[in-house]
Order: sequence, then C-alpha cells, then structure tokens
Amino acid sequence: MNKISTRQLLFFLACITPVGKIVILPALLSETAKNDLLFPFIASYLLQAAAVFCALLAAKKGLNFYELLAHTFGQIAAKILVTLYALFLLFAGLLPILEQKLFVQSVFYDTLPSLVAFAPYFLFAVYLMAKPLSSHGRVWDILAPLSVIGIAGIFVLSFGSADFAALLPVGAAGGKGFLEGTMSATAWFFDAALLLPLLGKFEYKKGLAWKGTLCYLAGGAAAAFFVAMFYAIFQEIAPNQLFAFTATSKYFSGITMLGRIDYLFIFALALVMAFYVTLPLEAGIECVLEAYGRPRYLHTGLAVAVTAVFLLITALLDYRFTEVLDAVTKTAFWIIPAFSLAAPPLLLPLRRKQHADR
Amino acid sequence: MRIGKFLQTVPMKLWLILAAAVLFSFFSNDFGLVDIQKTAIILAAGIDKTEAGFSVTTQIAVPKGSDRTTGGTSSVEIDAEGETVSDCISLIFSKTGWVPKLVFCNLIVLGEDAAKEEDAVAHLNYFLRNDYMPDSCLLAVCEGKAGELISSTSAIDDASSLAIGKLFSEAAVKSGKVLTNTLKDFAIDYYGVSKCSYLPYIRMTPQEGGQNDSQTAAGGSGGGSSSGGGQEEQQVYSAEETALFKEGKMVGLLPREQTLALSLLKGNVFTGTFNTEDGGKPVTLTVIKNDGGVSLDSAHAPKATLSLSVTVRLCCRGVTAPVEDIASDSVPEEILENAKATLEGYEEKLWELCKTSGCDVFQLTKMLYRSSLKKYSEWKDVLLETVTPAIETKVISMK
Repeated sequence: MNKISTRQLLFFLACITPVGKIVILPALLSETAKNDLLFPFIASYLLQAAAVFCALLAAKKGLNFYELLAHTFGQIAAKILVTLYALFLLFAGLLPILEQKLFVQSVFYDTLPSLVAFAPYFLFAVYLMAKPLSSHGRVWDILAPLSVIGIAGIFVLSFGSADFAALLPVGAAGGKGFLEGTMSATAWFFDAALLLPLLGKFEYKKGLAWKGTLCYLAGGAAAAFFVAMFYAIFQEIAPNQLFAFTATSKYFSGITMLGRIDYLFIFALALVMAFYVTLPLEAGIECVLEAYGRPRYLHTGLAVAVTAVFLLITALLDYRFTEVLDAVTKTAFWIIPAFSLAAPPLLLPLRRKQHADR
Repeated sequence: MRIGKFLQTVPMKLWLILAAAVLFSFFSNDFGLVDIQKTAIILAAGIDKTEAGFSVTTQIAVPKGSDRTTGGTSSVEIDAEGETVSDCISLIFSKTGWVPKLVFCNLIVLGEDAAKEEDAVAHLNYFLRNDYMPDSCLLAVCEGKAGELISSTSAIDDASSLAIGKLFSEAAVKSGKVLTNTLKDFAIDYYGVSKCSYLPYIRMTPQEGGQNDSQTAAGGSGGGSSSGGGQEEQQVYSAEETALFKEGKMVGLLPREQTLALSLLKGNVFTGTFNTEDGGKPVTLTVIKNDGGVSLDSAHAPKATLSLSVTVRLCCRGVTAPVEDIASDSVPEEILENAKATLEGYEEKLWELCKTSGCDVFQLTKMLYRSSLKKYSEWKDVLLETVTPAIETKVISMK
C-alpha cells in the first residue's frame, strides 16, 4: 500500500487546510464578531491545532484508526464507533461541498446557473473517492505549491487596499461576539478529524507531532492574516462579501488595465478546494473500509453511493444554503467540535494489545 | 465476479465520463447563459425620486456598425418607473427584451431630489445586493434629474456616462478638482459609526453653439430614445463641487475651493493648481507634493487637527513678469504666506460647512471609536459641534 510521506502530510497541514477557511467563513465571522473576527478565528485554530497534535501523536502507536479502537474496545464496538465516525465525517463534508457549489456558481458564472454547472464535480469526486486515501500524498505534493501561489498572489494584490485600523477597537464585539463567532467557525474546523483515518498510512517520525502542529499553525497564521486583511478592506460591509478570497483582490489598481488577473490565483485556490472538500467524504469511506475490509467492489460501491447521496442532497438543498448554514453553525454547532476536538485526545490513552482479538 | 471486474474498471470509465462532461460543458449552450445579443450591457444608471417610488434611467451600450468611420461606443437610454429600483430594472427587461447586465456599470448618478429627500441606500441597496454589480462603481449626485443627465448628449463623447467617467479619471482626482467615491466606500461610510460620506456633484451646461452631430454620435442599431438622431443640445459636464451626506441624505454642498481643501487634506493632489495673490494680483501655484491628514487626540477632551503640507511652484502670474521670474520655479516668501492664508481660509470654511451640515466628512467619529470605546460613547453625539480644530498648514516652495 502507498504510504503518505512526512513531507506530503506537512504540505497538507500547512498549505491545503487553510484554503477551506477563507471562502465563506470570514464574511460569517464579520457578521457575528465584527471587527473582532480574528479572535474567534484564532481561538478555533488553536483548539484545532491542539487536536492535530494529539492526532499526530496517536500515529506513534503504528495502528490505523479502527485497529486502535478494536484493540481496546473489541471489534464490534470498534465497528460501531468507526461507523459513527464515518457518518460524522460525511456530515462535516456537507457544508464545504455546498459552499464550493455556491462559490463555483456565483463566482465563475455571470448569472446563477443551474445545478448542472456543478454536476461534473461529482464525477470528479467519485473518482477521487474510488482511489485509496493513502495515494493522496502525491495530490498534496501538487496542490501545496498551487495553494501557496494562489494565497500569495491574492495577498499581493489585496494588501494595498487594506486599512488595518478598521480592526480597532479591540473587544468592541464583546464576549457575545466572540462566542457566536467561535460557534459559527466550528463547522470549518475538522482537520484533526481528517487525520484519524490517515493513521497507519504514514510513518511517525521523531517530532512529527510538533512539526505537524507548527505547519498547521503556519497555515493558520496565513489564513488569519487573510481574514484580517479581508475585514480591513471591507470593514462594515464585510458580511456582504460572501466569497472572501475572490473579493479582496479586485481593487488592485493594475486590474483596470490588465483585467481580472487575480482570477489566475482564484482558479488555483478553487482547484485546491475541489480536492479539500472531497476529503471528508473520502475519509468517511476509508473508515468504513478499515472496519469492514477492502473488497474492491465495496470501495467503488461506497464511492458511487456516497456521491449519489451527496448529489441528491445538493439538488434538494439547491436554494437552501442559508438554512443548512444555520443548522450546521447554530443548531448543531456542537457536532463537529464534539468529534474533531474530542476524538484525537481520547485516542492517546488507548494501548496496543499484544494479542488483539481480531 | 463479472460485477467485481466491471467495478474495478469503473475509475477509468468515470474519467472518460468526466472528460466527456467537461467537454460537453464547454461546447454546449453554456448552461443557459444569456446570449450577448439578448443582453443589455448597462454602462450607467441614473436614479430619481418619483411619486410612485423610483425612476431609473439606464444607458445601455449597443453595437455600432462595423463601418470603420464609426468607431466608439453608441448607446441607448431606457427609463422605467417602479416602487423599487429592482422593479425599474425588471421593467427595462420587459420593455426591451434585453436581459440587463450590471457587470460593466461604472457609474450611478442620483438626482438631487432623490439624494436630498430619501436615504441614498434605499436607492443603492439593490446594487449592493447584486452579486454581479462591481462595487468599485463610481457614485455621484447631479443637479436636477439624473435621468436627464444620463439621457443628455455629450459634446465630447458618444455617451454621457463615458464623458462623465472622464471627469472622474485618476488625473482629475490628482488635480484636486474632483473628489470621487465608489459604491463600496460610500457603503462603508454609511454603515460605519460616522454615517457620513460625500459624492461628487455634477452640473450640466449646454455647449455654446453645439449641436448634435449625427456623424459622430449616431445611434447605430439602437432604437428607442437613442442618443443619436435628434437635434439635441450638446452638453458639457463639471464635477468640481462635492455633495455632503449624513445618514444617507444629502445635507450640504462643498464649493470647488473646499473640494480642493478636502482633496489636499486627503493627500490626493499632485500637479493640481490653486490661486492666491501677490500684491493684489492673482497668482496660480502648482502643487507638486501634498501630504495631508486629519487626526483626533482623544486623551482628554477630543481635539482635531487638520494638517496640510504642500510643496508648490509658481505656475502663472496674472500680470507680466520679467524673464528671470519666469525662469525661476521658486516661490517668493510673500506669495507663500498668502498661499498659506488662502488654504487656511479654505480649510476653515470647509470645517464650518461640515459643522453646519452635521456631516462628519473627516470621519472623526470613526477615529474616536477606534481609539476609545469609552470616549466614543461619551462624545459621539456632540463631537462635531464641540471640537474646535487646530489647522496646521505648511506651504513650501520648490527649490
């Protein structure tokens, strides 16, 4: 089986994970936390970084996610837990996919096109899901530089339009703004949860937990800088700018003469996002395969079935994004942190048994 | 087993399907995107207040003949009345069958009545909500009806909006004669703590002896109230004054001198000119370097400082001058003193106009809010009336 190298894993943590957090989240945070939007963003990142540290440390045991659970709780309980976890990952994947759909339909078309415009994504997704999760390391090798170029390009084009004094006064939104902001951000912070299905697919080398966490935080710092810059550009009307990273760079003076050159960077990030939003679904399938074995038909069948279900959900919720957003970030805001923050540290005390009941 | 074998080859088949779907998407009907021939590319919109609600006049670009002698942009103006701006835009679609597209709309003009009687954001919120409207679009107010301005025939360009667009060029802004504002910045000011902003104020005057030249401004294939075709009077436009807004309503007007003063305080000016005097005779100075700013000290009672520094050179005397004087760029001390007094007079008057209109065009409230929440709650309602500004003006001669 292919193994994910340390470099590929670090690329994922530093370069791929921040992209999902700079689409709708900045506008959403500016609505709840206003000019203090950085605080809930940073708090969410720090909490998730701690969970990433635990998830990477769990790799020291040399077992995959299912094996870790099976050694402690037995096979049946492990199967139940892993199935639940897979369902959680599918749930976590819903909002990013709807977000990606809305993003593609709104930004790349000059009128709101039908769902058909986004349908090819599902063909792409089913192919990705039919590939072994461990083979994604090579994808991250390619996506990481694309992501760096995309983010750096947008930074360069946007920086001149920013008035960072707009982030003052500190604390204007108060505790309520901070709490509501943190609550709404939880839906985008499940990166540690994505690492658990990767356990056993990469080798733990000395210091990986620290290196991985630092890489994750470095990506977070870039995303936080973007969020600050986004608010510094749009200030009070930031909540109206739904797709943050497509909006900030359009005021670059050269665009008047050269046209929307920023779209080169936007396309680069959109491509990275296409892979990133599929990852929770792939991780969910991987959990099931670990628990129930890997006959090829099961893998492909699951990929097709999950894609079909998501295509159906996307079609049913075509004009209900706001309702989904409210449900995931308000009513059921606790589900994602309950799994993504709690699961990695809970794995740490689990021990490998000499003669596991397999 | 056969099913298993089939499924093993599914990824490759899916790739093929994906490739076919992508090709289909490229070569199909673009998922029902609107044909350019059925599209109204709106260049500018003028909004007026009516009894029913609003009247929107749009200037729509239409294809001009392929004849090489008729280059440029031709346009047709369509107007519609409705309860909301959206109603009006829909009516334009109904009247013409063209789907209105705002992607290239670079100018929105508010009629004076609409700007004074109604909160401007009531007119503009349609554009703020529209995902396809560039928020870098320029905003302006005009004397009289915006519809008349948009429908007028320009003496200098094919379409009035293009002629007005030239008034708002970067060069015009650097001259200090015009202060421009965009939809985005106006909205930021409106929704910000100061709730005050400004827009350029356009006046239209007939070009003396000017008649519409059907050769240069023919309406091409456009119909309706085409800009070409009639013997309409040609117009020239100016935007040297600035309308002040408070809570979305126009509350005052800055004359050209105060527009210059505000431009100088923003540090915008490069190669702009202003007049002063030397021994009772007029002298024109060119600004070749400009730093300006407004600061608020909120340590005790808030204190505003308007600071302005300009480096100037002599541009023109209103009297004959010896050749040595023409050859020299440096400005005599006496003229510098007069220039300082002139600019300080402009700044004082600017402050006075802002104070009387209640428009915090300097964004002092925003500065106070950003520096101290406590002071902000204490002073926000009386800031402009209470603060007496210190005016610090430096006029330096180019060596």
